Amino acid sequence: MQFQLTDEQRALQDAVRSYLRDRFGPAQVRELYENPGGDGVPAPLWKALGEQGWLAVLVPEEHDGVGLGLLDAAVLAREFGAGTVPGPWLGTVLVAEAVRLAGSPEQQAELLPGLAAGRTKGAVALLRPGSSPSPAAAPATASAGTLSGRLDLVEYPAVADVLVVAAGSDAGTGLYLVDPRGTGVTVTSVDSLDRTVRLGTVTLDGAPAGRLGHSGAATVQELLDRAAVLVANDLVGIARKALTDTVDYDRTRVQFGKPVGSFQAVQHALADLHIAITFAEHAATYAAHAADVDAPDRRLAASVAKAKAADAADAATSAMIQFHGGIGYTWEHHTHFSFKRCKRLQAAYGDAAQHREQIARLTVDAAAVAT
Amino acid sequence: MDLRFSAQDEDFRRELRAWLDANLPAEMREPAFWAGKGSDESFELRREWEARKAAAGFAGIQWPTEYGGRGGTPTMKAIYDEEMARAAAPSTVNPLGLAFLAPTVMAIGTDAQKRDIIRPLLHCETIWCQGFSEPGAGSDLAAISMRAEPQGEEYLLNGQKIWTTNALHGDKIFTMARTGTPDGGKRHAGISMLLVDMHQLGVEARPLKQMTGASEFGEVFFTDATCPKTDVLGGEGNGWATAMLLLSFERGSSAIAQYTEFRRMWDEVVGVAARMDRDGRPAVEDPVLRQELAAALIELECLKYHSWHVLTQTSNGRDLGFEASMTKIMWSETFRRVSDVYEKVVGTAFAVPKPRPDLSLEELTTTAMWSRSCTIWGGSQQVQRTVVAERVLGLPR
Ligand SMILES: Cc1cc2nc3c(=O)[nH]c(=O)nc-3n(C[C@H](O)[C@H](O)[C@H](O)COP(=O)(O)OP(=O)(O)OC[C@H]3O[C@@H](n4cnc5c(N)ncnc54)[C@H](O)[C@@H]3O)c2cc1C
Repeated sequence: MQFQLTDEQRALQDAVRSYLRDRFGPAQVRELYENPGGDGVPAPLWKALGEQGWLAVLVPEEHDGVGLGLLDAAVLAREFGAGTVPGPWLGTVLVAEAVRLAGSPEQQAELLPGLAAGRTKGAVALLRPGSSPSPAAAPATASAGTLSGRLDLVEYPAVADVLVVAAGSDAGTGLYLVDPRGTGVTVTSVDSLDRTVRLGTVTLDGAPAGRLGHSGAATVQELLDRAAVLVANDLVGIARKALTDTVDYDRTRVQFGKPVGSFQAVQHALADLHIAITFAEHAATYAAHAADVDAPDRRLAASVAKAKAADAADAATSAMIQFHGGIGYTWEHHTHFSFKRCKRLQAAYGDAAQHREQIARLTVDAAAVAT
Repeated sequence: MDLRFSAQDEDFRRELRAWLDANLPAEMREPAFWAGKGSDESFELRREWEARKAAAGFAGIQWPTEYGGRGGTPTMKAIYDEEMARAAAPSTVNPLGLAFLAPTVMAIGTDAQKRDIIRPLLHCETIWCQGFSEPGAGSDLAAISMRAEPQGEEYLLNGQKIWTTNALHGDKIFTMARTGTPDGGKRHAGISMLLVDMHQLGVEARPLKQMTGASEFGEVFFTDATCPKTDVLGGEGNGWATAMLLLSFERGSSAIAQYTEFRRMWDEVVGVAARMDRDGRPAVEDPVLRQELAAALIELECLKYHSWHVLTQTSNGRDLGFEASMTKIMWSETFRRVSDVYEKVVGTAFAVPKPRPDLSLEELTTTAMWSRSCTIWGGSQQVQRTVVAERVLGLPR
């Protein structure tokens, strides 16, 4: 047994890391922070995502993709979290996953090559913000080939070329394709605390929409789980980076004539974080693998990963600010980039408490019945 | 990523399971069986069980065959640990000898020591104690004051050890004593590791009662006890280095066994929660307890994944080094987590071993209390955190 990334996956990880180190660092993130009016998608970065195959990772080869698995996408998500990478990568990858999982052959042929290359940007609206991740929380209703509803906190709706929406109807919940620039669609941008993302509200008022293949509640759930796994990996990246930066800072910052990292109160807090993050890394890795091999416990694993990663990243970004002292609270320092990204993502696709309740349904209830 | 085991590993698992089915009586898997036995009787039963395993070739899984082991891989050892835990097989009576002393003797023992110590240990004919802690030297192991004066071909031992596991059942004790004159700043110098016979007049073991009511540990007093000079392990004055080598044989790879055991406890806790009343409903429906049960399960699942990580590292020939301290924190805290939820689930019933005729909590309550010790022995949680901070994260001393 080998519970570790393959050589190819490690090479992928190195490639993203070195790209981000050389081309997209804190200075580029800061530009987004100082220019909240822009579209939030640095053109060179987006071009690279397309060229390197990082948008195509989950798209099958026959549709010009790379045909890898969720674990490979998770490797990317983790590095993007560590690097506070902006842009509609997640939305585009999730649209491609929706089309791959449920799209008709025509829909796949029409959409996947563009999504894989980065020509087509994607956005998704799968649940009402604040709701537990379930098909029952679909944000829109479908009727006679149209959708209506208010989709809040959609990522990058203003630049998206295709929108995938979960909607309920008499025939159950399904996934629908909507043209974000079509009739009956109004996109309103809203300010985002985390300026590495652009958010908006999309109002659908009888907007024409085509059902995505034979998608049903199960597909919606599958997509929600995959989204949770990718976000968990992003959070793990945020958490690990926050700890590494804090260790680096506290190794050299001297107070009372000693590096502050030599004080036991600091050491023990950071040791506990390291342990929590290590657990979260294992969980986020396993959850992606479990989805790839269709393991019987894959839903449980997704919830374990999301809950653990949310808590670990929450603790790590808080500690990052605390153990940087005053400098950690300034706009000029980069601590708040990760902190704000963490706050946004820790609640996305179900927060830790919602996933724990989900875990209780999957395990506690089953075990209690058995006794 | 590939979580499957090889065909040979699966064969080993099947063979072991079949042997367990045939040789481990069902009643011995039940807590109630052990609850009815006195400590001496249960010790002897477990010792026989251990010998039976050794005779059948299911001991020393990773030991070289020349020492009577099976010459197996880290994966086989993990499978073994997991299957023993799954079968609820009795825990070993010789944990300190098997896990710590034997590999140290194999690494640095003299030929005579290898010949005399290893085989009887494997068959549990000799039960070994670890005599490190003293009343004034716990976490600060280098503060020991027990003395061993050279006298002819022997040492004369005087001093006291404490918290000695198996003190009352031990045949021999590996212990640390000062053989040299204490040398001001160099506290680690002048210490030797001695292998001492406990069945002699100068050695007296007294039980210490634990909070569970049992006496698995005790005190050991040495009054002009003797130890031949040939029974120094690792050379006179090298005791500190020997102890560090010995402690490096941490049992990180048994995290899978810990997971299996604690997971069984969690399942039992859920079963209890389904039968405990809370505000007129089963406790298992209480939203706060559900959160806590799930939070504990999250840690358990992560511990399982971590055991796969450890196994991957060891089976690829990588040394875990100081990461073993992390694994110790991980499993002991996960154990505490499950125990904490149990305490909340039973509430006031924690005070009563048998709150209802149909509900016995004795075993779970004892286990929950035992979890309190695991964050102390083998280096307390705080000491391990310092190791992780300095040796794994690289924070300054
Ligand atoms: C069930 C059980 C079985 C045991 N079996 C054996 C055995 O077989 N052989 C043997 O030799 N010993 C054994 N021990 C002893 C065990 O190794 C010691 O209890 C342990 O090392 C702690 O030492 P102490 O009890 O003296 O606590 P102390 O060292 O007095 O410490 C008290 C507490 O202070 C804190 N602390 C101490 N030092 C530091 C520090 N540097 N930084 C931060 N916090 C610190 C820790 O929280 C610690 O728990 C056993 C203990 C138990 C509970």
